[in-house]
Amino acid sequence: MKVIGKKITTNTSLFLFLGFLIILFSFTSEHFLSSYNITSLLTNISYSGIAAIVLTLVMISRGLDISIGGVIGLTTVVVSALYSQSDPLPIWLILTIGLGTGAVVGLINGWCITALDMDPIITTLGAMAITRGLAYVISDSQSILMFEETTDFISNGVFFNIPIPIILFMLTALICGVVLHKSKFGRSIYAIGANEVSASLSGISVNKTKMILYVFTGMAASISGIILLGQTSVGMPQHGIGAELEVITAVLLGGTALSGGKGTIYGTIAGVLILGVLFNGLTISGVRYVHLQIFQGLLLLVAVATYEIKTRNEVAR
Amino acid sequence: MKSWLKGLVYGDDIVGALVIFLALLILFFSLMTPHFWSSNNFYAIIGNIPAMAIVCLGLMYVVLIGDLDLSLGSILGFTAILAVFFFKVMHFPLWLNLISCVFVGGLFGALNGVIVTKIGINSIITTLGTMAIIRGLAFWIATDVEAMQIGRITDPSFLNFARYYFPEESRLIPITLVYIALLYGVSFLFLNHTSFGRKIYAVGANEATARLAGINVKRVKLVCYIIAGMLSAFGGLVLVAQLGLGEAQTGQNMILEVVTAVVLGGVLLTGGKGRLTGVLVAVLILGVIRNGMVHLEQVTDISFYWRDVAKGVILLLAIGLYSVRKSFNAKRLRTRQ
Repeated sequence: MKVIGKKITTNTSLFLFLGFLIILFSFTSEHFLSSYNITSLLTNISYSGIAAIVLTLVMISRGLDISIGGVIGLTTVVVSALYSQSDPLPIWLILTIGLGTGAVVGLINGWCITALDMDPIITTLGAMAITRGLAYVISDSQSILMFEETTDFISNGVFFNIPIPIILFMLTALICGVVLHKSKFGRSIYAIGANEVSASLSGISVNKTKMILYVFTGMAASISGIILLGQTSVGMPQHGIGAELEVITAVLLGGTALSGGKGTIYGTIAGVLILGVLFNGLTISGVRYVHLQIFQGLLLLVAVATYEIKTRNEVAR
Repeated sequence: MKSWLKGLVYGDDIVGALVIFLALLILFFSLMTPHFWSSNNFYAIIGNIPAMAIVCLGLMYVVLIGDLDLSLGSILGFTAILAVFFFKVMHFPLWLNLISCVFVGGLFGALNGVIVTKIGINSIITTLGTMAIIRGLAFWIATDVEAMQIGRITDPSFLNFARYYFPEESRLIPITLVYIALLYGVSFLFLNHTSFGRKIYAVGANEATARLAGINVKRVKLVCYIIAGMLSAFGGLVLVAQLGLGEAQTGQNMILEVVTAVVLGGVLLTGGKGRLTGVLVAVLILGVIRNGMVHLEQVTDISFYWRDVAKGVILLLAIGLYSVRKSFNAKRLRTRQ
């Protein structure tokens, strides 16, 4: 038993668990393995997956961003409000402004966290209130309908039979994976997360790196928001409520440590897939939404507890 | 005058600054709007803060030991549903309802505390998880028990729990104010004048030192989580009696405001430092903003929803100011040496 425990890495065990879930649900529901369900499952997870992938980098650097849900809501409202003007800007400009929304929020988060040395959780908690509040102010608490070709294509279009959101998710994962695991910038993220002081002493510009990461997280949240906007055809301030819980759960499930310096993109992909499969499978097997929330919380606790106990055993050894 | 100003900028005591800020806010809203400065409106403001004030007190215990409890809003929501359940289905009298609800709140607190102390998971992640679980349980009860479909309570014997006034005829002091005074008063004595209260500060200031000094750190932490859960449950019950309504959504977005108030009140997030008066004034500040924005919307076209933005900005300013002051102080110490 001990030998097995040593040989199986975190990532393998995650994918084994994923396989177990897939087999389980293919028994409990005949529709689970249909191509329609698989496609909709993957499309659904892309939206939170993009944010989760980028958040992984932030969390490896020992940061956290819980303003993701707020940024998603704000982006949907900003984009749909700009489009519903009587003489709207060209759509590419509107979408750029949408992306810029997330970037600006990320910039402010990053500035507070680096220049003022503020706690990332509290900073982004404040940003969450501000973004959500601004979304309510701009939309006046109304839903803004938006039927537009480009956003519709981003969310519902296909490219070689693959839905665009899935492609965006895979692209994000690929880019972040290469940056994190194959580049100098990626190594510096690990170094900062492991020990900020020694990273700074060895010549890494800690503040700049962190700043870039927060800006990218904001932009990733905006992309998620634009996808959500296209899927629902409506921009509203309530979009993305609770998204941060889902995203953080996926990242932690994937083995990224809250204390920084540890984590992989593969792990997060596995975490996102497990969450997606679990929710889809439970729903399709007839479990109600109120119970899903309980499962989500339990899963978060069990995942983190497992890593905690595992780390403690390793230290003891 | 100068030393007084210096004390505000560099000193540890921010209660003075908070009181000035509160006075300025009241002045601003009184000048800008016609109906803000009236006794009716002051009762409205005071009527809006009890649940907040009580949950803030609960969170303060957890923050004092250097942790954070995000599940308190869910515990409050669960209690709201539970109180209606006990009242409508089990027909509990008020005192039994109160004891049972506070007990369940304590159980949830204990669950958080055990996970944090025994397994050693970070408190934020733990309570993020239990936040979802407890809220899910609340929705479960609310949707599955048929008598719960309408969570409205009209029985005055229950409602008087939060709607009673002293003295009854002249309606001078609302009973909720008495609750706040009692809970904060007892907490003041507990935190400052009992050895266990001092242990809470010691654990928050430096866990390792506290352990070396022979304090049972885990037990102190566990007790703080239990107190926080019990207080949130009490807050939930007060809210149900005030509104005459218990829903699974009750307190869903509350925790953000609670954290803001505690942080604004000068309780250090790293633990070990914080005063009850600061938290109480911070609760009042947020209450005045919430109420004042409604008045402001009526005379100007400033949207009521700016209050959420204002809340976030105040949170950031409070923390930012604290950070800046900390680095100032560090610099001053260095130059002195």
